[in-house]
Amino acid sequence: MAQQILVAVIVAAAFAASAWKLAPARRRLRALLALDGWAARHPRLAGWRERTLKPRIVRAAGTGCAGCAANVGVRPQHPPR
Amino acid sequence: MDAVVSTPSLRIALIGVPNCGKTALFNRLTGSRQKVANYPGVTVERREGERAALDGRVLRILDLPGTYSLSPTTLDEAITRDVLLGRVADAPAPELVVCVVDAVHLPIGLRLALEVKRLGLPMVLALNRMDVAAKRGVHIDMARLATELGVPVLPTIAVKRGGADALIEAIQPARWEHHRSIAAPVWQDATAEDAEQTQVDLRGLLAAVGYAAPKESHWVARFDAILLHPVYGLLVLIAVMFVMFQAVFSWAEAPMDWIDGGMAWLGEFTAAHLPEGPLSSLLVNGIIGGAGAVLVFLPQILILFLFILALEDSGYLPRAAYLLDRMMGGVGLSGRAFIPLLSSFACAIPGIMAARTIPSWRDRLTTIMIAPLMTCSARLPVYALLIGALIPAKAVGPFNLQGLVMFVLYVAGIVAALVVAWVMKHFAGVRQYSPLMLELPDYQWPHAGNLLLGLWERVKIFLSRVGGIILALMIVLWFLSSYPAPPEGAIGPAIQYSFAGKLGAMLEYLFAPIGFNWQISIALVPGLAAREVAVGALGTVYSMSAAGDDVAGQLEPVIAATWSLATACSLLAWYVFAPQCLSTLAVVKRETNSWRYPLIMAGYLFALAYVASFITYRVVGSLA
Repeated sequence: MAQQILVAVIVAAAFAASAWKLAPARRRLRALLALDGWAARHPRLAGWRERTLKPRIVRAAGTGCAGCAANVGVRPQHPPR
Repeated sequence: MDAVVSTPSLRIALIGVPNCGKTALFNRLTGSRQKVANYPGVTVERREGERAALDGRVLRILDLPGTYSLSPTTLDEAITRDVLLGRVADAPAPELVVCVVDAVHLPIGLRLALEVKRLGLPMVLALNRMDVAAKRGVHIDMARLATELGVPVLPTIAVKRGGADALIEAIQPARWEHHRSIAAPVWQDATAEDAEQTQVDLRGLLAAVGYAAPKESHWVARFDAILLHPVYGLLVLIAVMFVMFQAVFSWAEAPMDWIDGGMAWLGEFTAAHLPEGPLSSLLVNGIIGGAGAVLVFLPQILILFLFILALEDSGYLPRAAYLLDRMMGGVGLSGRAFIPLLSSFACAIPGIMAARTIPSWRDRLTTIMIAPLMTCSARLPVYALLIGALIPAKAVGPFNLQGLVMFVLYVAGIVAALVVAWVMKHFAGVRQYSPLMLELPDYQWPHAGNLLLGLWERVKIFLSRVGGIILALMIVLWFLSSYPAPPEGAIGPAIQYSFAGKLGAMLEYLFAPIGFNWQISIALVPGLAAREVAVGALGTVYSMSAAGDDVAGQLEPVIAATWSLATACSLLAWYVFAPQCLSTLAVVKRETNSWRYPLIMAGYLFALAYVASFITYRVVGSLA
């Protein structure tokens, strides 16, 4: 029984990790920002979120000229009409 | 404009022409490990790093893409100008500019320095590669240069420890706090008169500092005569590529056997010491059989990158770009597409991003659309597995047959890219050809430190993928392959009754015409996340299909025994074309700011993959 519970936990974690890793960076960032209320109640985890997780996702989201701060709200390169 | 005193940090921007050593200097100053290479166009985004000043304050250092002028012609050059002018959101204009100038090629760097000086920002001039300049007899009167420009001029050797000490001393915040500008600099694009005046100023400056162009060494001229020759140069390029793929198979054999043996031992050890049950099955079949099957290919990836990094560092690659420029122009590709396409051999994502250096939108789009056809390192495990399983390791003349097949697969990707570019050119109408303007760097021996750093980065990337997304997907796949359990009295492997088995049976209808069995069909689904995941998925699926027999670390013999040559060749053809990488499609969406292009890309690549696999399967099947 203990073996089955352990396997269930590992599989659930793997499902969550796969979904998280395959989600677009901007969606992950939005999900993190939605956790503000929760973060206020868990300062230690919130610190990890701010120091480690968020910068990593911001970097991933910024890998591309549309994600670059220089081009916020700007179509960076569009096809000629 | 006096300044704000005792602000907590100093914002410093590194600027210079492409390939003058900015990123090497950035790495030296910040302890960062950004990619450097001996050709222009490696940095296409701004990067930020930090260094503690001597007084405890923070130096925020920005590494900017190389540019020849502040009047940009490409997107990466525009980023540099906008950062300097403070036009970038969340990034105010720098308080100090370090203009990096290659001392060997002083005129081209000084022209940019004169433009930057006109902005009125506090500036330091770093004369980089002073060691090479000295060796080549280049004389520069630095004191005179400093007086003429009115800024500190410092010698640096970015690739040597301690080579930036003078610069570090010069950029301490205490020295600059009274020079900080409070207004954003203003820039107006240079008129023809401005450009002429800059040229006159430059000539005067070069005469004043006693600069004379370095003499080209005799052996460089001889090398170039061969390597840039339209026939001999091409033969050398083919030979280099050929040796590279031979080495990938010949040199990697022993370390791959060690890892393979280690995985098999680990699987047996785990199975022997855990009671039979779901945990043992998960560890042996899911994790060791799946993620372990991918790990085996690390030595081949490292050997491939050892060659690529050595060629990058030596200065050979821009010469190869020059050689291929005419061929690329013939199919409608800009000469500037070479570096992005070359980067795509490591991974299509940096290649697609490097296409920002191409000024024309159409040329850039063509390059982006064909970048995934270059054989990225994620395909290597798939190719190596199938070649190792079904192509005999015999010699064909002086060559290894397996290496020969690998070479053909790489060439197939390149030829397919050229054909697609040609079709796109004719589809979009005839365009004006934009010629390649490329500064050929000096030849140099590859730096052992650079090679080791580059290889270490590849090891980290590979292991983080194996330990991250691949491991997670293998556990998910193990679950889908194990549940639900087979009904009472069922015959055949349990996986056939599982979720994955049912999915495989459905997909088999789609893939049967191209020779894929249900195990391959299942493996292609998680393989959409990343190509090498398919190898791990095959490991897991075959482990689960083996009715209790442990096949961890022994995927090759299983494939050799159960697949036909036609099926293996068909799968190889599939992987030459199929866009089995979600991240690539996501980056195409970001770089083009539209879903239209990633969808077109996925559509045409899947169609090409299916047609190529169908033809391959039928032709090889009939011949066999």
